[in-house]
Amino acid sequence: MTNPVRRTTHPVAWWGWALFLATAAGRTGNPWLLLLIIAVAGLVVTWCRGSEPWSGAYRVFLFIGLSAIAVRMAFYVVFGGSDGPTVLFSLPSATLPAWAAGFRLGGDVTAEGALAAAYDGLRLATLLICVGAANALASPRRLLRSVPAALYEVSVAVVVALSVAPQLVESVGRVRRARALRGNTSRSPANLMRTVVSPILHDALDRSLALAAAMASRGYGRATGIPAPARRATEASLLIGLIGLCAGAYALLGAATPAPLAWATVAVSAGIAVFGIAFASKRVPHTRYRPDRFGARDWAVVASGAAAVVGTVLSGASFASAVESAALWPATNPLTVPDLPMWAAGGILLAAAPALLVPSSRGGTP
Amino acid sequence: MTRTTETPATRPRPAVRWKAVLSLALAAGFGLVAMSWPLLASPGGALTETTSGPWLFALLLPLVTAVVLLQLTDGGLDARAVAMLGVLSAVVAAVRPFGAGAAGVETVFFLLILAGRVFGPGFGFILGCTGLFASALLTGGVGPWLPYQMFAAAFVALGAGLLPGTPETRAGRTTELAILAVYAAFASLLYGLLLNLSFWPFAITHGNLAYVPGGGFSENLSRLLAYSLATSLGWDIGRAITTVVLVLLTGPLLLRVMRRTARKANWA
Repeated sequence: MTNPVRRTTHPVAWWGWALFLATAAGRTGNPWLLLLIIAVAGLVVTWCRGSEPWSGAYRVFLFIGLSAIAVRMAFYVVFGGSDGPTVLFSLPSATLPAWAAGFRLGGDVTAEGALAAAYDGLRLATLLICVGAANALASPRRLLRSVPAALYEVSVAVVVALSVAPQLVESVGRVRRARALRGNTSRSPANLMRTVVSPILHDALDRSLALAAAMASRGYGRATGIPAPARRATEASLLIGLIGLCAGAYALLGAATPAPLAWATVAVSAGIAVFGIAFASKRVPHTRYRPDRFGARDWAVVASGAAAVVGTVLSGASFASAVESAALWPATNPLTVPDLPMWAAGGILLAAAPALLVPSSRGGTP
Repeated sequence: MTRTTETPATRPRPAVRWKAVLSLALAAGFGLVAMSWPLLASPGGALTETTSGPWLFALLLPLVTAVVLLQLTDGGLDARAVAMLGVLSAVVAAVRPFGAGAAGVETVFFLLILAGRVFGPGFGFILGCTGLFASALLTGGVGPWLPYQMFAAAFVALGAGLLPGTPETRAGRTTELAILAVYAAFASLLYGLLLNLSFWPFAITHGNLAYVPGGGFSENLSRLLAYSLATSLGWDIGRAITTVVLVLLTGPLLLRVMRRTARKANWA
């Protein structure tokens, strides 16, 4: 370990890893692969998470994922979906009139349709659980330090918000105690408004003005000497990027523009906008205390996530066997046990590497 | 400054430059497409040929938001605005959990609407973004839905800042509250529909309620309305009612408190 100060992984690396896993989940409907992704995410979370307040997010998202499956099944039972020959049970059915799009409600519930709905729900649940893993692993405060320097003012506002929120809770307690000491125990909303909400808000907003004065007296918000040509170049690239993105989105919607041209427009204008932000960030003369560097281990974490996507791509590629490609999107009619695509499974197992690479930060690392 | 004769519409607010206005207009157009592309994509268009549509917009929306925020804050958001943004975002983050869990109780919008009304559209837009972002960071709710929520909430606050001014009389204040309440109901319902639209292609992929790629406007609109009716109409109506009630209940007090602060901050 060369750097004893910073032992934990960069939060952007965790988000990259989780988004790659989510992309892999989006590219397949195979239940074995999806369950494998959930297991890998759970393993990495239990090994690598800290003991901060947000570390419990994985469990919360696990429940959200389960409810996504339940909702998807309920949708299938009530509104129907794909059909098959194996009828499990029949519900009384009703067909809505034509003005309500003529949907059929209820009717036969088939094993094939239920299985397809379950696969579909499992896919959405896996996406949600990957996001939950990122929430559990990445420290939001450190993530905030990775906001582009050009958005410095906005990120300062968010930092202020994060530190003021606990003070607000404390302020509520103080105001209520003072109110009780004055003998005011009225529970009427109008009275509460006047004697609790109003003082808290006045307090908070007055404090913001005091904070602003403190920031201004320490030199915050001074005019920075950015040369006019650089400023104009930034503004021009931002506006051109935005106009290009709008044009590209419009071109993608219609059939008049050929698809490659539309995609190229979007890609080029996104590039111009990113360039504008990066250029503006370079020009902002702010120093950073203890900059968060993106080290080799962070790259390894991101690469292990990318392995999962590469695995699913290889399974769908032309040189893979037909069985393997078909197993990415298993058919539910007729009912069969889906095969496990080997390339994809291998890639997803590689994504568990952070569990070995990253030492657990449980027990006292900052 | 002739402070005695000014009307509420010219109350001190952080200034917004024309380039930022142009960016906001462009971003509004892009955001509308990013949310409602399932309805707008015509058969044979590039978007209907692939399955990457939702991902594309979920990735591009943060970029567009960043560009607009950069244009809005460029040239320096002054310390007063930054501190005020921080504190109001903290209030948003603090009241947001009160709405979680209960069906359709939405406790953020009234604050965004009232703050947008007092501090103006530009400030409202930034507050919508920072408030929801801070609350997501505090509760561990960062996910693919966050850009859409931030963007839609930002425009809710921005719209409140664009409402016409009213005279500073008793009748004027009543009219102002009435306008804000109507806007609150309208904005909450539209917000629900747009967020539904953004999540619809992810949430359900086959069956009667699913999005049909290349199905055209009318086909997908009827499916969307049925989906909204089945899933979230109760939530949307609950959100509209709670927002209107909260605007009417807290409006007089909050508008007074925030205007006092805006006056003290002394924005030119």
